[in-house]
Amino acid sequence: MEKELSSKESLELITQMISKAKKEAAGDGSFHLLLWGWVVAVCNFGHYALEKIGYEHPYIVWLLIIPATGISIWNSIRTRNRARVKTHLDEMLAGIWISVFVGMLIILGFMSSLSFHQNPVILILAGVGVISTGVLIRVKLVRNCGMLLMMGAVIAFLLPVIDQYLVAGIAMILGYLVPGYYLKTTYRERV
Amino acid sequence: MSEFKPLDPLLHSQLRLAVMSLLISVEEAEFTFLKEKTESTAGNLSVQLDKLEKAGYIGIEKSFRGKRPLTTCRILPEGLKAFEDYVETLRKYIE
Repeated sequence: MEKELSSKESLELITQMISKAKKEAAGDGSFHLLLWGWVVAVCNFGHYALEKIGYEHPYIVWLLIIPATGISIWNSIRTRNRARVKTHLDEMLAGIWISVFVGMLIILGFMSSLSFHQNPVILILAGVGVISTGVLIRVKLVRNCGMLLMMGAVIAFLLPVIDQYLVAGIAMILGYLVPGYYLKTTYRERV
Repeated sequence: MSEFKPLDPLLHSQLRLAVMSLLISVEEAEFTFLKEKTESTAGNLSVQLDKLEKAGYIGIEKSFRGKRPLTTCRILPEGLKAFEDYVETLRKYIE
């Protein structure tokens, strides 16, 4: 393959290879949005419904977070191990989402200090993650869905704690599931 | 007399330029990825990677994934500079 190249051929080759690398690095990135979108929406609606019908321990539904965390970590490790390329974008997105996740754990650990108004704060953190993702992968719809999470946080702050679960459930559908399915179906190129 | 700077002979080769163009877009890439995307043979690719490594343009790390050997390549600062110079010279040629 040691062939002498013309200037035009060289430029074409560079463009072609960069494009090939981008496609390999792309992935649809929808797995975590869909997993967490479904789990957290179900937990929020479940908590809201159980509390409304007077069940004594409505927070029991949040136990779903435990297997979801396991699946999420397992998928991340498997994807990382199988990846034949590593990109700066992957590193940035992983850094952002790990920070968001740790932030959420801290908020959940201090729920009582927040008088159980943790849901709006969690929506803000989720919004930061989704907006940053949308900006980095250059998909406006994802960024706009992140803005909806922020709006959900504002609305939730204005409501009693019980109604915050309902708002958070709706916000998760609009802020996680909508962009998740959009990315899954469109499989956008990244980088 | 031409005012043009000569193109880096190490990069001005189809396979080596293809490898450098792939590596410029990513943090690191596996040998199998480079082989598939450049549509080259393992032997030829190994030889060209070796040349790029000796020039200090790329770093090659050999490890294992399970029981299988794994070769990972990444572009080094010297390689990045050489690639940028190559593209700049190319641009002048075309202008």
